[in-house]
Amino acid sequence: MLILASLITLAMAVVSLFVGVSDVSLASLFAGGMDSRAVEVLFISRIPRTMALMLAGGSMAIAGLVMQMIVRNRFVEPSTTGTMESAGLGFLLVTLFAPGWPLIAKMAVSALFALGGTALFLRILRAVPLRDVLLVPLIGIMLAGVIGAVTYFVAYRANLVASLLAWEMGDFSGVLRGRYELLWIGLVSAMLAYIVADRMTLAGMGKDFATNLGINHRAVVSLGLSIVAVVSAVVLVTVGMIPFLGLIVPNVVSLMVGDNMRRSVPWVAVGGAGIVLACDITGRLIRFPYEIPISVVMGVVGSVVFLYLLLRTQKRVAA
Amino acid sequence: MTSLFRTSSLAAVLIAGTMALAPAAFAQDKVITHPQGETTISGVPAKVLTQDWAVYDDLVALGVPVAGVPSSNAPTYLGAIAADAEQIGSLFEPDFEAIAASESDVYFVAARSASAFETAKDILPTVDLSVNNGSIIDGLKANMVTLGTIFGLEDKAAELNAALDAKVAEVKAAAEGKGNALVIVTNASKLGVYGPDSRVSWVYNEAGMASALDSVKDGDHGGDAVSFEFLLEVNPDWVFVVDRDAGTGENAGAAAALLDNELFNQTTAAKEGQIVYLDSQASYISMHGYQGVMLLLDQVLAGLNG
Repeated sequence: MLILASLITLAMAVVSLFVGVSDVSLASLFAGGMDSRAVEVLFISRIPRTMALMLAGGSMAIAGLVMQMIVRNRFVEPSTTGTMESAGLGFLLVTLFAPGWPLIAKMAVSALFALGGTALFLRILRAVPLRDVLLVPLIGIMLAGVIGAVTYFVAYRANLVASLLAWEMGDFSGVLRGRYELLWIGLVSAMLAYIVADRMTLAGMGKDFATNLGINHRAVVSLGLSIVAVVSAVVLVTVGMIPFLGLIVPNVVSLMVGDNMRRSVPWVAVGGAGIVLACDITGRLIRFPYEIPISVVMGVVGSVVFLYLLLRTQKRVAA
Repeated sequence: MTSLFRTSSLAAVLIAGTMALAPAAFAQDKVITHPQGETTISGVPAKVLTQDWAVYDDLVALGVPVAGVPSSNAPTYLGAIAADAEQIGSLFEPDFEAIAASESDVYFVAARSASAFETAKDILPTVDLSVNNGSIIDGLKANMVTLGTIFGLEDKAAELNAALDAKVAEVKAAAEGKGNALVIVTNASKLGVYGPDSRVSWVYNEAGMASALDSVKDGDHGGDAVSFEFLLEVNPDWVFVVDRDAGTGENAGAAAALLDNELFNQTTAAKEGQIVYLDSQASYISMHGYQGVMLLLDQVLAGLNG
């Protein structure tokens, strides 16, 4: 099954290599030799974009899964917990006060803010006695709203609202060779999640349970938070926000293969990459040769799936 | 007796004076026709409000003092905004309370604030000076004539319009045989293109540069997102860049850094160094202000001749 899913994702990656404004096809690749425009475009633009899509999709989906394990709630992901917004605030501030810093330093600041924002979310959750399944993401969305408002206020005062809107909107149209490689950091952090998957599965069963089994609950949660923060910051800084991704992929996977993280991480990675590829290809084709940002396509697809998941839960609760 | 005579003669003089003045005052009632109807303005307005930077720009060019301005996004090319000018809300949302309280004589809306007309017209004489993106220069000239009529500055307006015509003719001459052009907007790390119906349409329509987009399927070109591959394929001879990040000064050179890549560097525009950076606030915020358009035309001219 996993092999089949991987093959579908791989097929979409191949399609992604051949969708774009320039003429890149098997014929043009072989006709022109190694110096032809087709080969050049393939290496400068198509392969980097396809790689960026898979890296961002896979690592964002894993970040969502980790988040859901730590919070023990199916409806959280970096954009419903204030993580993304915190990363955005960090990036905005560092852009304002240290515009000359290299991108990786800005990303680090952004990741620190993401970490702080997520920790704040967990701290607030601890103060809420009733852990209703829908209350948790609601609190997260409210926190995200507050942090987002602060960010917009700062951007407004600095006349940066247009820029803020542009780089928060997930969009792969600017990806070229040399402009996406930070995403590998995201993949490496997401791989960490696979290494500690067993411990994280146990941590997901609750603090007391995990401690009884000899798990350092605190350490596992901190590691999980760091993974989420780094992935969020890396993706935000390179391509912007991709809404719903971290939410729908782990949920669909959980319906299919259950909650053992050791089993679900590869599924989530493959599924995340696949859905991001599909949405980006769609966005490239709808108004060809112009593009529709992936955050728009993903927003439409994601909200439908999210609604389905929500209604499904309600039905189960009612039954 | 003498005192009575004196009083009545004074009264007679006053009456005569009033009667002499009255017809003149009536004669100065002007009916201004604009996109949203007709507005009657009596006399020369003394206290002037505007919700639009382009209109502010026009008024400054004509030498008309402005009492109320938008509260945000003041284009830096306009220099310091009159210190005593009242802030009457953002470009999109007028502060109607402040507008009503100011007891002004005339209020100008345009483009982003055009929808304020319906509410504002019941408060004070309001004129909509929106300009159709498809014919920005003609629209601007019409606005200058309208403003000249309202403020009795017809000669000044005609003079400024003549200077504008001359500048457009100069750009047109410079653009002759220079090939096609593409106006792009850069924002953060994203690219958009502006076509023949956009807010910088004058580059194509009036300056006479052919749109490099003619070879591409037509869209409405309102700053559509495109990839670098798109630029490579369209391969414009000239590129005019509106850098939306440049307005802050923090990211100076951001657009140049964005465009310096392996794909864009293969286009004719990049190879020949035919890239002109336009004042982003004049092209993006005020769009059809007199001084802004003159500034942009100068920048295009300098680029074409440079």
